[in-house]
Amino acid sequence: MNRRNVPAGIASAVWLIVVAFPIYVIVVTSLRPADAYLSGGVLSLPRSLSLDNYERALRLGLSGFLANSAVVAVATMALTLACALPAAYCIVRNRSRLVRTGLSLFLLGLAIPAQAVIVPVYLIITRMHLYDSPTAIVLPTAAFSLPLAIVVLTSSLRDIPTELYESMQLDGAGNGLIFRRLVLPLSRPGLITVGIVAGLNAWNGILFPLVLTQSARARVVPLGLWNFQNEHGTDVPGLMAAVVLSALPMLLLYLVGRRYLLRGLAAGFGR
Amino acid sequence: MTVRVGAPPARPAVAAGTAARQRPPGVGWLVPAGVLFAVFGLLPIAIVAYLSLTSWNGLGSPHWAGLANWRGLAHDPEIPPGIRTTLLLTVLSWAVQTPLALLLGVWSAGPQRNRAVLSALFFLPLLLSLAAIALSWQALLDPNFGLPASLARLTHTPAANLLGDADRALYVVVAVLAWQWVPFHTLIYQGAARQIPQTLYEAAELDGAGRVRQFVSVTLPQLRHTVVASSVLMVVGSLTYFETILLLTGGGPGDATEVLPLHMYRTGFVGFDMGAASAIALLLVVVGAGLSVAIVRATGFARMDSEREGM
Amino acid sequence: MPSHLTRRSLLGLTGAAAAAMATGACGTAGPASGGSGIQLWVLQSDTENPVLRKRIDAFNRSSSVHVEMTTYVNDPYKQKLQVAMGSPNAPDIFFNWGGGNLAQFVDADQVRPLDSALADHPDVAQAFLPSVLAGAKLAGHQYGLPMSGMQPELLFYNKKVFAAAGAKPPTTYPELLKLVDLFRRKGITPIALAGQQGWTELIYLMYFTDRIGGPQVVADLVAKKPGAWRHPAIKAAAQHCLDLVRRGAFGSNYPSVNADNKGASMLLATGKCAMHVMGSWEYQNQVSSSPDFVHGDQLGWVAFPAVPGGKGDPADVVGVPTNYFSVADGGAHAKQAADFLVRTLASDAYVTGMIGIGEIPPVRGIKPKLAASDAADFATFCYDLVSAAPHFQLAWDQALSPSVGVAVNTNIQKLFVKQLDAAGFVAAMDRAAR
Repeated sequence: MNRRNVPAGIASAVWLIVVAFPIYVIVVTSLRPADAYLSGGVLSLPRSLSLDNYERALRLGLSGFLANSAVVAVATMALTLACALPAAYCIVRNRSRLVRTGLSLFLLGLAIPAQAVIVPVYLIITRMHLYDSPTAIVLPTAAFSLPLAIVVLTSSLRDIPTELYESMQLDGAGNGLIFRRLVLPLSRPGLITVGIVAGLNAWNGILFPLVLTQSARARVVPLGLWNFQNEHGTDVPGLMAAVVLSALPMLLLYLVGRRYLLRGLAAGFGR
Repeated sequence: MTVRVGAPPARPAVAAGTAARQRPPGVGWLVPAGVLFAVFGLLPIAIVAYLSLTSWNGLGSPHWAGLANWRGLAHDPEIPPGIRTTLLLTVLSWAVQTPLALLLGVWSAGPQRNRAVLSALFFLPLLLSLAAIALSWQALLDPNFGLPASLARLTHTPAANLLGDADRALYVVVAVLAWQWVPFHTLIYQGAARQIPQTLYEAAELDGAGRVRQFVSVTLPQLRHTVVASSVLMVVGSLTYFETILLLTGGGPGDATEVLPLHMYRTGFVGFDMGAASAIALLLVVVGAGLSVAIVRATGFARMDSEREGM
Repeated sequence: MPSHLTRRSLLGLTGAAAAAMATGACGTAGPASGGSGIQLWVLQSDTENPVLRKRIDAFNRSSSVHVEMTTYVNDPYKQKLQVAMGSPNAPDIFFNWGGGNLAQFVDADQVRPLDSALADHPDVAQAFLPSVLAGAKLAGHQYGLPMSGMQPELLFYNKKVFAAAGAKPPTTYPELLKLVDLFRRKGITPIALAGQQGWTELIYLMYFTDRIGGPQVVADLVAKKPGAWRHPAIKAAAQHCLDLVRRGAFGSNYPSVNADNKGASMLLATGKCAMHVMGSWEYQNQVSSSPDFVHGDQLGWVAFPAVPGGKGDPADVVGVPTNYFSVADGGAHAKQAADFLVRTLASDAYVTGMIGIGEIPPVRGIKPKLAASDAADFATFCYDLVSAAPHFQLAWDQALSPSVGVAVNTNIQKLFVKQLDAAGFVAAMDRAAR
C-alpha cells in the first residue's frame, strides 16, 4: 500500500478529469455575460469575463440564505448524530428481538422516498405549530438521515472487538461509560461520514424547505436559487454564480477541516 | 490513536455475581432515534397507506375509494415500462458505481499526500446542489451547444444526440448518476478502508503476496460489510431517487427514463392524484424495504459479526 | 435508562400519537386567521415582480393591513399551493392560470367570488377585455382578475434566414409544409422545438385541433364529456403533428433541447433554425439573450397558419389569455385582499408598468400606450390579434384538470418521439380522462 501504484494513479487522474468537466462548465458559465452564454458553445472560454452574475447573486440576498442554511445544516448534523450513535451502539451490542425489529424498521426507512410522505409530514409539522421555522426543516431532514446514519454507524461499530467491551465491563463500567470512553472515540470515522452526509442533505435539500417554510427570512439557499428561474426561462449564468457562491462555504469548511477529517479517518485501531 | 485498555484479565471463575452489570445497552438507547423516526418516517407512511385507499387531490378532505387506486395501478400503462426501467437503472447503477467507489475509496485511503489532495477534489460533486448538477450536465450534453457539438465540429461528424435518443438516454442517466453518487460511496469505502489494520497487509506481504493479491485477499474481505451497506443504499436509492432524472430528462424521451419514483412524483405532485401516487409510493416502500431486509439477511450483515474477531 | 418498554405501552403511545396527529389534519380552516397581513403568492419573474412590488408599496402606505409578497418558481409553486390551500398557511391572494387550474380550488369552496368588490368599482370590470376576463369566470361568478399580460402563441421566424432562402412566412398549413421541405434542402432545421417539455409540443396539437374542429372540441374535453377525446379533429391534429415530425420539420435533436435554458430560442437567433412556435414571451426572451437579433429587426412573427377546410376560425388564438390573482376564501383579510386587487390591477400605474416591461395587458384602450413602448410593433400585433380573436383557448395543460394535464404532456411527448401513433395517442388520452 505504500508503493507507487501507477495504473491506479492514471485511473484516478482520468476520474479527476471526469469530475472536473461539469465543475468547469459551472465556473465558466458563471463568468459569462448573461446574454451570450449559449452562443459560443458551452465549453468555450468566455470572450469576456464578467462578474455581473456574482454581483447579481449577492444583491438578491444570498448572504441571508447562507446563514439560514448554515443553521439548518449544523442542527441537522447534531441531531442526526446524537440520535444515531446511541441507536447504533444498542443495535450492535443488544441482540434481542425488539432491537432487531428496530433495525428492520430503520432499514424500511431507507426505502421511503421523501416525496411520498411530504404531505403527511406537512400536516404533522403544521399540527405541531412548527411551520415556517428552521426546526421544520431540521426535524424531517434528520429523521430521513437516520436510516443511513444507522447503517453506516453499525457497520463502523461492529468492528470493535468484543474483548474491548468485555474488559471494560469486567472493570465495572456501565453502558454510559463504555459509550463515552470506547464507542465515541472509535466511531469517529463513521461519525464524520454521517455528519458530512447529513449536513449536505440539509444544505442542498429543497423539498422540505419548499413545503415547510414560506417567508423570505426562513428561506434557505436552494430556494434562493429560484431567484434566477423565471416563468419563461432560467438565468443560467446567474444561477451558476449563485451555485458557486453557495458551494464555497462548504468547500472552505472541508478544506479547513480536511486535516481533522484525515486524522479522524485514520483513527482506526492504529496498531 | 490507540485505545488505552488494560491487558485483558483472565475471566474470574465466578462470573455469576457480575452478571447484572454485564447487561447490554437497553432499548432506551434507541428511543431518541426511534421517536424522531416514528413521528417523521413511520407515521407518515401509515398515513400514506391510508391515503392509497382514498381519492384526494390535496384540497378538502380525502374521499374513501377502497381498492380503486390499487386496481388502477394494475391497469396503468406506465407501470410495466416503469418497473423495467427502474430495474435496469438499479442494476446498471450498482454495476458501475460499486467498483468505481470501491477502488477510489481504497486508493484514497492510502497515506500518500497527493492522494489526500485528489480525494478532496473528488469530493466536489457532493457539495453541489441538484440544480447545478442537472443544469451543467444538460449544458455539457446539449447536442447543439455542448460537448457533442464541439466534438462534431472537430471531427466533421453529426453531433451525437445523447439525452434525446430513447435508446441511449438511460445509459447517459446512469453515467450522470454515477458522477453524482460515486463520491458519496467513495467516502464510505474510504472511511472503512482506513480502518483496516496495517498488520494484515504486513502479514500478507511477508507471505509474498503482491498488490493485487493483497487487495483480493485482505482488502475485499475486510470491506465485506461496507460493500453490503453501500449496496443496500445504492439499490434502495435507485428505487426512491428521481430528482436528477427529473431535471435531466424529465423522464423522456417519451418514457425512456421514466422510473417508478418519477412516475409517482408526477402522479402526485403534478397531476395531484394523491391516492394513486400513494399507492405507487407504498409499493416502492414495500419493495425497497423487502430488498434491503433480504440483502441484509442473505449477507449476514445483521449478525453484527466483526471481520476482525480474534485479533 | 429503562431497559425495556413493554410492547403494550409502546403500541399505546404510537396509537395515541397517530390519533392526535391524524384527526382534523385534513381540510382544516382557511388562511392565516388574523395573521401578519395579506399574504400574496406569485410566480418569480424578474420583470413582473418589481412592477407589482411598487403597487404593493403604494397600497401599504395608505392601508392599515399590509400586503406581503412571496415568490415561487413554477412547479414548486403549484405544489406549494396545493398543499397549503385549506390549511392555516394558505395565502390570501394567489396567482393562477384560470381554467381547470382555478376550477379545482373553486370546487373545493376555497375561492372568494369577487362580484361584490367589482360591484363597488364598476369601471374596473369594464376595463378588461371580456374574453380574457371570462377565463376566471366560473358558474357565473368572477373568481379572479387579470394580473399579467396576454400571451398568445405565435410563429416566430428568422427574417435573415427566410430572405436568404427567398421564402415568405406561412399563412396556411400546406405553405408550412413547403417551407419545411425548402429549409431541409438547404440544411437548416426548419422549426426549433424544445422537446424536453411536453407543453412546447402541445402548442401544435392545440392549434391544429382548433383549426380543424373549432373550439367546441376542447370545451367538451374540459366538461369531461365521455368520449370527448375520440373526436376526429383530435386524431387529425395528432396526425398533422406526426406528419411534421416525420418530415423532419424539427430535426432530430429536439427531444433533448430544453425550454428553460432557452436552447430553442438560441437556435432561432443563431439561424440554425428558421422558425419557432412559441408564446409571446419569446419576444422578451430574445431581447434579453440575443438583443442584436431583435433590435436588428431580424425577428419576425405571424399567427399560426390556417388549415384549409377546417371548421375552426383561423383567427382563433391559443395560449395563455392571462394570469389571474384570486382571493382565498375564509381568511381574516379576504375583504381587504379583494379590495387591493380591484384597486390595483386596472390602475393606470400598474398597466403602464406592465407595458413598460413588454407585457400586453388585457385592458381596453391601451393601443396608444403600446404604440409608444419599446416593443411597439410586436405589442400592437399581439393586441390586435387577441382583440380580433373569436376565441382565445387556454393551453390544455392548464385548462384541463391537473391529472389529465399530466397525461396530455406525457402522451404528446410520446407522440413526438413516435412511440405512439395518432390512434394510440387518442386511445391513451381517452383512457387517462376516465
